[in-house]
Amino acid sequence: MDDFYTKLADILEVEAVKPEDVLREFENWDSLTALSILATLDASYGINLSTAELREIKTVAELAATVTSRRSK
Amino acid sequence: MRNFNFPESRSLKLKEMMGYDRHRVVEQGVCVSDLAEFGLEHLFRKGLLNRDDFDALILVTQSPDHFMPPTSNIIQGRLNLKHDLLCLDINQGCAGFLIGLVQAFLLLEQESVRKVVVINADVMSRKTSTKDRNSYPLIGDAASIALVERDTQDSVIYANLKMDGNRNEALMIPAGGFRMPSTPETAVLEDVGDNNLRANDHLRMDGSAVFNFVQVEVPPMIESLLSFAGESMESVDLFLCHQPNRFMLQKLADKMKLPYEKMPMNVVEQFGNSSGVTIPMTIALNLRSRLPKRGLQVCLAGFGVGLTWSSMLMRLQTLHFCELIDFPNRAAA
Repeated sequence: MDDFYTKLADILEVEAVKPEDVLREFENWDSLTALSILATLDASYGINLSTAELREIKTVAELAATVTSRRSK
Repeated sequence: MRNFNFPESRSLKLKEMMGYDRHRVVEQGVCVSDLAEFGLEHLFRKGLLNRDDFDALILVTQSPDHFMPPTSNIIQGRLNLKHDLLCLDINQGCAGFLIGLVQAFLLLEQESVRKVVVINADVMSRKTSTKDRNSYPLIGDAASIALVERDTQDSVIYANLKMDGNRNEALMIPAGGFRMPSTPETAVLEDVGDNNLRANDHLRMDGSAVFNFVQVEVPPMIESLLSFAGESMESVDLFLCHQPNRFMLQKLADKMKLPYEKMPMNVVEQFGNSSGVTIPMTIALNLRSRLPKRGLQVCLAGFGVGLTWSSMLMRLQTLHFCELIDFPNRAAA
């Protein structure tokens, strides 16, 4: 999942992200960031997450867990 | 981009990703019938269409002049067209050009119908909040006129169209109809997130939901169309899609494993997103003089409000006339 953390940091335009970081507290968090995350999950992991599902996800760790569980399906 | 209440770096990022640059919007007061009348007059004047030669006029629009009468009747009246003309308004958006074509094909099954004029036109800038950075910079106004008639060569056109009204709220103008009439309250701007200001009278788009919809629904629709027609992705020369923004088209091409040169995505940066009209505009902008005599195998695809999504496979041969013309600026005249 290191790869996922790197991708997420790129989208958020920060050096690195930590599991406990809260998504909505990043300085660059906005609808464009959300859209970029959805697009990356789709393109890199074949996961189609809905906006409603993303809204429920609070932290980087929760998002990573979603990616792991969806990928294994 | 400075007009919006955001850090400029984020606005520039949005512009870069989505491919905004310029857009064309109508002057205050310009309606769909004005654009349609101007375009049809042009065709009559140039001798490209005889005013008595078509038997149906289909207008696809989400921005009619009035609730009633139908705007197609208004166009007929303003141009003094014959009374034996079926005028038909269709309320559809981003897939509207294809819906209009399908309706034209059905009408042409009637022997008495010789030619059908399909006008697709929208002036959605007039319903878009200028303080909504996510929508206003990419909205465009435009009209297209397509003349549809029977082909003696009998080449087959394949089409499929799909609708899901359960997701109707992803793209809508909440107020102004009978469910929520426009009042001073529906005109009040509210912060809808990311500092975008919008009222219930304005176009509302759930960008991420629409993105998801396109990624999930459009590739299988096109695959099933091609498979029904016995064609493959490789045998299609060009995929001419609705042009919401460059980002969405790139992601769609990636998903379909298509090289970008097979899917033109240069409309939004020059004209903005004019809903269904972006498909004929993509054809006029990219192919007008470059259609080889043998034609090109093209797949058209529209997707958006409704939700509605549709695709069409056809051999597009040299078009008698396929040009972009400018609607005159009245203030400058």
